Amino acid sequence: MDKGIKFLVVDDFPTMRRIVRTLLKELGYANVDEAEDGADALAKLRGDAYEFVVSDWNMPNLDGLEMLKQIRADDALKHLPVLMVTAEAKKENIIAAAQAGANGYVVKPFTAATLEEKLAKIFEKLAK
Amino acid sequence: MTTEHHPAPGQGPASAQELFQRLGQLTRMLRESMRELGLQKEVERAVAEAVPDAKARLSYVASMTEQAAERVLNAVDRAQPMQTEIEAGAEQLQACWDEWLNARGDQEQAGELALQTVRYLGEVKLKTRATGKELLDITMAQDFQDLTGQVIKKLMEVMQSVEDQLLTMLLDSRRAGKNPDAEAPLSAASRPQPAEDTRLLNGPQVDPNARNVVTSQDQVDDLLDELGF
Repeated sequence: MDKGIKFLVVDDFPTMRRIVRTLLKELGYANVDEAEDGADALAKLRGDAYEFVVSDWNMPNLDGLEMLKQIRADDALKHLPVLMVTAEAKKENIIAAAQAGANGYVVKPFTAATLEEKLAKIFEKLAK
Repeated sequence: MTTEHHPAPGQGPASAQELFQRLGQLTRMLRESMRELGLQKEVERAVAEAVPDAKARLSYVASMTEQAAERVLNAVDRAQPMQTEIEAGAEQLQACWDEWLNARGDQEQAGELALQTVRYLGEVKLKTRATGKELLDITMAQDFQDLTGQVIKKLMEVMQSVEDQLLTMLLDSRRAGKNPDAEAPLSAASRPQPAEDTRLLNGPQVDPNARNVVTSQDQVDDLLDELGF
């Protein structure tokens, strides 16, 4: 997998953005940008070329699920892989995210190994 | 609390006795007004729901912060001896090399020192890898800030809504007290409305025994597999 791939990490908590960024760097992905909510993320995605989105769900302005729906509805963005990383742990949440087109779902708190495994799985599927 | 609802000003400082008397009157008036207005049930319900909910959330915050602190301290406890060993090894080797340089030692001694140095470099590689792992664990332990932050935000919303209800009730009872014929003032619109469509926005699960909730990443994966995603 190309380690220069450009990530956008979307979370309203700066601490969590830093954690995800650190983990991605640990896995060899150093090209990481951050957005603080869904609206900020959509603006960034439309302004620049990204190749992967890691997003929280519960955020002000525009939540992660709405952002995901808008990504899938946008011809220029709909191909983007989106991995949800969220504390929302209800079954209906996981189902709603999958139906909206999420490529993966990680429940917080998560481990470095889990993130690595989900990323690998998504890359594997995309390569097919 | 807002500061707009002080008791009538200009009465001077009240004695403790007066204050208690006034509080007692206020309490009785509140109870009577609540009964008249049919509010007692509503307030009871709000308190019955809010208090245990707040307790569960606070104990979640307490246990998450405790876990995070322990995790960080344990990682430091594991990393520190390795750091010390790396430092001690470097100091010892440096002293040996310095001695050799000063004494213009022979080839044989240099060969022996070079071997020791190579062995040491191998150890440094392993130990820094291990301390790097501990540093990452310290980073991961900070995820408590996001999780407890979400729970605290929820808690503040609950407090806000209890405060709003109590305040509305106080204002209504005042008005009702002044004019008993006034229409029932607590219209639906004056009550705080829960935000719509928050069904999917619950934040971290503070109760692992809640229904319809996954408690591990494995369960998430199983559910997605079941659904064919």
